[in-house]
Amino acid sequence: MQKRIILPALVGALLVGACGGKQPPQQAGPTPEELAAQARADSIEAARRAEEERRRLEEERRRAEEEARRRAEEEARRAREIFAERVHFDFDKFDIRMSDQETLRRKAAVLRANPNVRVRIVGHADERGSDEYNLALGLRRANAVRDFLVSLGIDPSRFETASMGEEQPLVRASNEEAWAQNRRAEFQLVSGELTRAGM
Amino acid sequence: MQVHRLSLLLLLAFATPLAAQQDTTRIPTGVRLGMIYQTLKRPSLAVRAFTAADGVSAAELVGDIVRRDLDYSDRFEMFEVPPQLADGPVDYATWNGLNVVYVLDGALEPLGEGDGYLLRLVLHDVVYGQVKESQAFRIPPPTAPDHRMAVHAAADEVVRWVTGQPGMAASRIVFVSQAADGARDLMVVDSDGENLRRIARVEGPLMSPAWSPDGRRVVYAVGRDDGSWDVIERDLETGAETRVATRRGLNTTPVYSPDGTRIMLAAENGRDLDIFEIDLATGRSRIVRGGPGADMSPTYSPDGRRIAFNSDRIGQPHIYVMSVEGGEAVLLSPYTYGEPGHYAAPDWSPETSFVAFHGRSRGQHQIMVADAARPGSTVQQITQEGLNEDPSWAPDGRHIVFVSVRPSGTGLYVIDAVSGRTRPLVLGGRLRTPDWSPTLERASALTVRGE
Repeated sequence: MQKRIILPALVGALLVGACGGKQPPQQAGPTPEELAAQARADSIEAARRAEEERRRLEEERRRAEEEARRRAEEEARRAREIFAERVHFDFDKFDIRMSDQETLRRKAAVLRANPNVRVRIVGHADERGSDEYNLALGLRRANAVRDFLVSLGIDPSRFETASMGEEQPLVRASNEEAWAQNRRAEFQLVSGELTRAGM
Repeated sequence: MQVHRLSLLLLLAFATPLAAQQDTTRIPTGVRLGMIYQTLKRPSLAVRAFTAADGVSAAELVGDIVRRDLDYSDRFEMFEVPPQLADGPVDYATWNGLNVVYVLDGALEPLGEGDGYLLRLVLHDVVYGQVKESQAFRIPPPTAPDHRMAVHAAADEVVRWVTGQPGMAASRIVFVSQAADGARDLMVVDSDGENLRRIARVEGPLMSPAWSPDGRRVVYAVGRDDGSWDVIERDLETGAETRVATRRGLNTTPVYSPDGTRIMLAAENGRDLDIFEIDLATGRSRIVRGGPGADMSPTYSPDGRRIAFNSDRIGQPHIYVMSVEGGEAVLLSPYTYGEPGHYAAPDWSPETSFVAFHGRSRGQHQIMVADAARPGSTVQQITQEGLNEDPSWAPDGRHIVFVSVRPSGTGLYVIDAVSGRTRPLVLGGRLRTPDWSPTLERASALTVRGE
């Protein structure tokens, strides 16, 4: 009866001993499971890195694009700014002032850089003088500006001229400062797009 | 006095900056201060209180309108009626002793229900001791829109009885009023400053309205968003608008020919403005004045055969006269080589050879009158106070409406070019480019002469 009890215990011990001998913990190479896990982790990491790199490149590209767009926008803004710059006139006069000639040169550069743009030049007068004659004076001012731009090599067919006389003052006041502001030529985009500043 | 002095100071402050740019001390060579010379002395006139058969209050109101019209005609010294001479038969000897030349009586007789009145006017000639003229006029009831105009027409007849020349009471003035928000109103007012009303409102620029000879239409220039200007004819009764000028760009300063069949205007032609005439029946247009310089603001002579206009072809704007058929233009405004000159906004009198315009004198714009029959003769500067622009003659060829900025107020004023007497017509804001209508109503001929 006792034998029957011991045998299974021995077998059990042997079995335990055999197992322990074949599989020493830590020293041996990774188990396939571990390898698989490792590989999985590695590939996740690689994918992560790749993704990161991709994102970095994407970001770089986006930034470059953004920068280019910003520059283009900035240039377009600058072009519009130069395009919109008013020129002013002396009382009862329509000759281009020395100080405005630089403005018009910049404007000519913008027009050269944006050959599809067509322009309306609108002449204005201050409130003094005849309402009716001020229309003629405004037209003369618009023509003087066009002539100057044409003399800088811009195709005359790209211009329209108009006059609002004293009808649309920039500053609604009756003093020398307001009058000086109101004696002006303004520039309107008839067609085309302003993209290049032409600097 | 205090207010007056303050506004004078303001005016001086307003005027000062100009001094830096122009000679503000001189009146231009060829311009003389003063009125149009006439030898006639104004006769003294007394208007007695009007009576009415049924004692209606309309008599007093009608009498007030007639009295004021005769005063505004500037043909008479208005004599205050003494109480003891207020009614009863006209005592010629006593009136003669007061140096009164004419006495006017008026009586209203009601016609049928809603038919208004018969206004009988009797003009006594005190010097000859007899009735000079007597006439009955039909006056619509006070509620009718043409009531006042009918009374004005009766007053104009009194002027004709005495002077043989037309009055101007039965007329209106059209002008542009600029609102604070930039909108423009086309306005009309009666010659005595009453009945002010708006004809139309325009969001953008509006300029230079002009009457048709029959008073039923006006033509004017309207600015568009794209910088172009159209000339529009408007039927005052229906409000219907028609585009007159068909050229691209700037079309402005339209006027009707005296016979109403044509409109003359300035339009963009190449580099500047030229003058064109459009036949309203055919729509065909022809060039009247071309060449270099801006030619604009044409105005017909009474016979329609000549025009005065504004041109800056010599470098400064001046007034010229020429035939409507073309040919040489003769300078009308004073020009002296090397002297600054600026003349604009001509208007030819409907009765005479006088052309009114404004010119810069002592640094300010002033109303001037030149005789187109004698180009080169001295030009009369008829205003001196404040800044004065854009004159337009009344149908009597004697009064002128103009835009003025002066201490007594900014607005439209009327001046008698003979006596210089000036009265405000409409004050306020930015009132611009007035045009005085022809006579709008002739009194109906219910004549009973020589009582």
